[in-house]
Amino acid sequence: MDKGLLAYLLIPLFTAVLIPFIARNRPRLADIFANVTLLAGLVNLLWLALRPSVIAGGFADIPGDALSLLLVAAVYLVGLCVTFFSAYFMEEGLPNRQAYYSLILTSIAAMTGVVTTGDFFTLYVFIEVLAVTSFALITTDDSAGGIEGAIKYFFLTFPASALIMVGIAIFMISLGSLSFDSLRVYMSSDMPDGPVVFASALIMLGFLIKSGVVPFHAWTPDAYQGSYAPVSAHLAGIVTKISGVYAVVKLATLLRFFDGRAQALSELVMFLGLLSIAVGAIAALRQTSFKRMLAFSSISQVGYIVLAAGLGTPLAIMGAVFHLINHATFKTTLFLNSASLEKAAGTTDMDKLGGMEHAMPWTSWTSVIALLSTAGVPPLSGFWSKLLIILALWESGLKTYAVLALLFSIVTLAYFMIMQRKVFFGRKSPAAERSSEVSAPLLAPAVLMCGVIVALGLLFPYFYQYVKVVAERIIL
Amino acid sequence: MNLILIPIILPIVSALALLLISERTRWLKELLAIAASIVSLLAAANLFLLPAQTLSYAWLGGGISFTLSTDTLSAFLLLAVSLFSAAISIYSFSSPNKGSAKWFFFNLLMTQAFAAGAALSDNMVAMLFFWEGLLVFLYTFIALSQETKAAKRTAMKAFLINAVTDLCLLTGVVITGYIAGTYSMSEISHNKLTLDYGWSVFAYVLLLIGAVSKAGAFPFHTWIPDAATDSSAPFMAYVPAAIDKLLGIYFLARASVYLFTLNGTMQLVLMTLGAVTILVAVMMAFVQKDYKRLLSYHAVSQTGYMILGIGTLNPIGIAGGLFHMINHATYKSCLFMTAGSVERQAGTGDLSKLGGLFRAMPITGLCFLIAAAAISGIAPLNGFFSKELIYKGTLDTGYTWFFIAAELGSFLTLASFLKLGHSVYFGKRPEGLKDTKEAPFSMLLPMMAFAGICVAFGFGARLPVQWFISPSLEALNLQHGLLFGFHADKLYFVSVIVILAAVLNHMLGLAAGGGKADKASDHIHYAPVLKETYALAERRVFDIYELAMDKVVPPVSYALFKADRFFDWAIDTVPSGVTGLLSGASSRFHNGSYPLYMALTLAGAAVYILLVGGFK
Repeated sequence: MDKGLLAYLLIPLFTAVLIPFIARNRPRLADIFANVTLLAGLVNLLWLALRPSVIAGGFADIPGDALSLLLVAAVYLVGLCVTFFSAYFMEEGLPNRQAYYSLILTSIAAMTGVVTTGDFFTLYVFIEVLAVTSFALITTDDSAGGIEGAIKYFFLTFPASALIMVGIAIFMISLGSLSFDSLRVYMSSDMPDGPVVFASALIMLGFLIKSGVVPFHAWTPDAYQGSYAPVSAHLAGIVTKISGVYAVVKLATLLRFFDGRAQALSELVMFLGLLSIAVGAIAALRQTSFKRMLAFSSISQVGYIVLAAGLGTPLAIMGAVFHLINHATFKTTLFLNSASLEKAAGTTDMDKLGGMEHAMPWTSWTSVIALLSTAGVPPLSGFWSKLLIILALWESGLKTYAVLALLFSIVTLAYFMIMQRKVFFGRKSPAAERSSEVSAPLLAPAVLMCGVIVALGLLFPYFYQYVKVVAERIIL
Repeated sequence: MNLILIPIILPIVSALALLLISERTRWLKELLAIAASIVSLLAAANLFLLPAQTLSYAWLGGGISFTLSTDTLSAFLLLAVSLFSAAISIYSFSSPNKGSAKWFFFNLLMTQAFAAGAALSDNMVAMLFFWEGLLVFLYTFIALSQETKAAKRTAMKAFLINAVTDLCLLTGVVITGYIAGTYSMSEISHNKLTLDYGWSVFAYVLLLIGAVSKAGAFPFHTWIPDAATDSSAPFMAYVPAAIDKLLGIYFLARASVYLFTLNGTMQLVLMTLGAVTILVAVMMAFVQKDYKRLLSYHAVSQTGYMILGIGTLNPIGIAGGLFHMINHATYKSCLFMTAGSVERQAGTGDLSKLGGLFRAMPITGLCFLIAAAAISGIAPLNGFFSKELIYKGTLDTGYTWFFIAAELGSFLTLASFLKLGHSVYFGKRPEGLKDTKEAPFSMLLPMMAFAGICVAFGFGARLPVQWFISPSLEALNLQHGLLFGFHADKLYFVSVIVILAAVLNHMLGLAAGGGKADKASDHIHYAPVLKETYALAERRVFDIYELAMDKVVPPVSYALFKADRFFDWAIDTVPSGVTGLLSGASSRFHNGSYPLYMALTLAGAAVYILLVGGFK
């Protein structure tokens, strides 16, 4: 456990415990507490990472392995956007308002734990905490879809927990320790492949299931579509990425894929990554629901990260980390905007929407920016991360993978073009006639995220420097 | 600013300024254009009198620098270009039928600037830049000169013919530069290229195509007669009659003498090209019934003399070619101006509707007589001397056939001008032209100036030869002997015989045509064999452009269209069909069934574990 970042875990947890007592009679206090906690944490993190002296020093002063800090910042950023959005989105009479914020803060604390921990058991504990909070959050509005999504999420991911437990048990037997470092040391020694690699493969499988990689993806569309609107942003933007994809990336570096260790596993992970890219993109083409298309797009984008993680070279890891951050920004924007759309137009069915840019210009244009970033259009941030991943593939001689990754990035553009035309552009639909732009506080998170997307894209050299520090520190 | 830049920059700036002036202002545009061209002319004259200068900027890197230089040949050419620009802009002051005045003068000044640049460029890449720029303004010049569809069509024809040949020139320049290792013409001239191996022959032929096509030689001439009917007289007097000839022949001389050392075969090719151009075009000119169209064929035919002169490769012939170039530009411009005046005053250029205008338009008529005599090579006007030099050069090579062809060309030239002059200025004046008056002064002034030059360069042939032609030959590194002076030798007597024969022929034609001057060519037009040939030519069977447009372009474009449809299908229909199928299948699969999903997850996990466990 990275002690320096422990406060970022404990404070939200503390607030989460506090909220039900303090806000018992005044539910609005829950909003304020949650937002203030996260905002304070985020400001603190920005101070740590973006002081001029730190930037000038090439980010050498960042504590820990720098990846934890970056991901904690992403968790806080998305969390803040979601809580801020929820504060204005939730209806006044929602009975479990305090519980909602407590759960969100608990899940943020759990995610912080996941990204700062240094051993597998703690990782497992926090991931389970995260899963339990997510089940509860999905059903916030007690809708049938939410309950179905939660149940599917629960049942389809429970094999993952079992597999992770088995893997941890084998680790305990054969390594005698559960710390990340012991696995790293074992992999850099000349020991033959054996139970340790098999155990890693089981753990990896567990996390792949949790990431929603094809063919373990079946829960994602239903969970994202059915869940309470701001929660889907939380879930798709950060929760599944931390509970699954982050661990995959971490394991990939620990297993030293870049050294050619655990070759079979590395190849398998890469194959699953590419399969996800392909299936997610192709399935997204035909979707008619805005949220469901976003869910399939999420599967496809996770595929890019997993593909890069499976490759494991420093450049690929940089690409994976960068894409993880980017995915958090653009997916959060899109899911929050889908919530706004749902609120204003009453539907997310793309056949019924159309010409929304006339009625909801801010929502439309922030969505378009996020879409373009997802599809990898320069100079937005999504372009750079995909570029890094494809370059890494090409450099490693995996030209077929590189070309296919590029091709499916075009398919990404295609389904987002379809979405843009059906939802935002074109002739005004009856839905667009009815609806009007949502209030400024609901737009603020999307606008903030778009600012981050554009800034990361334009200030890519600085961010590249940072990600390079990350890659240097975690691949040692 | 360096003086050398003024003839290039000033017209461009003025042309752009012209576009800002309202179309409704009356004299402003004309005066601005005239002022710009006259100042450029003064600058050019100054440059001509100064010793050779060079202005070089680093450009593009890799041995390609933007170099302008005024060696004597370039300075002479610049002077000529500026002179004609000034004269035409004055002439156009009150010329109607030139289209929108703003665009006319814009095109005129742009053409002047780019022609000046092409003349001054020492680097071939810089020259190409200006040369290709002229192509753009050639198109706009013709397309904007009349409102008709025919003007657009002819503009496209001129553009395409010249675009193809300019592409040849471009390729030629690149190959030449590659072989020589430099694009600077003066550097190449220190170590001339020879035609000993295939690539250099190829390069020279490409340069040759570019040059003679610019000059309007056979078989690249076909747009000129069309432009004569579809555009304005000032345009004809300026571009095909003057600027194109100057640049084309200039670069032909540069390529043939300065850059390459030619061999006997290439000499024969050049002289044949010249002779064929003379004869084919003059045969066509002879039977024309329209003032400008007749002149335009002569513009082509005279190019043949210049190519023939340069093709002799001896100093006398080359001197004749260059001298003929400037002489031709003078009298042909003058002739087109008379055509423009007649058209303005009488309202038509159709020979059968004109007649007896000499009394009504004595100055125009006089200018016509001088220029026509000059083009026909009647002593002692300028055309006589340059043609004599070309004949002499041709005879010196020993190929008598080319001399005979050139004399035959002379005969037909004179015959056709007898017909033209007779039917426009003499004979009976038609009823409709009773009130015709002399053209305005602004049109007469440049005409008289050029007629004056024709006379001056004739009686004082020594002057232009000493001032312009000898220095030009020196710029081309040629040694030469005496180039001027009147000799009553056998060449002179041959020319007298040709004159007599032409007069006889005209009288014969008049008798055959029932005394009507415009029918004086019919006895040859409708002679056996020739009649059918002319009929085919009228149907444009010999026009490579029309041939290509009729026979080659449709099947090629059809094939390309089909190929395009195929690619469209391959990149549009096929992928969207395939992805449609796949995504349809995947949405049918994602039906929300929990057991199905669970089975998929478990099956996937099982396969994963087997694979990781080493099961292959």
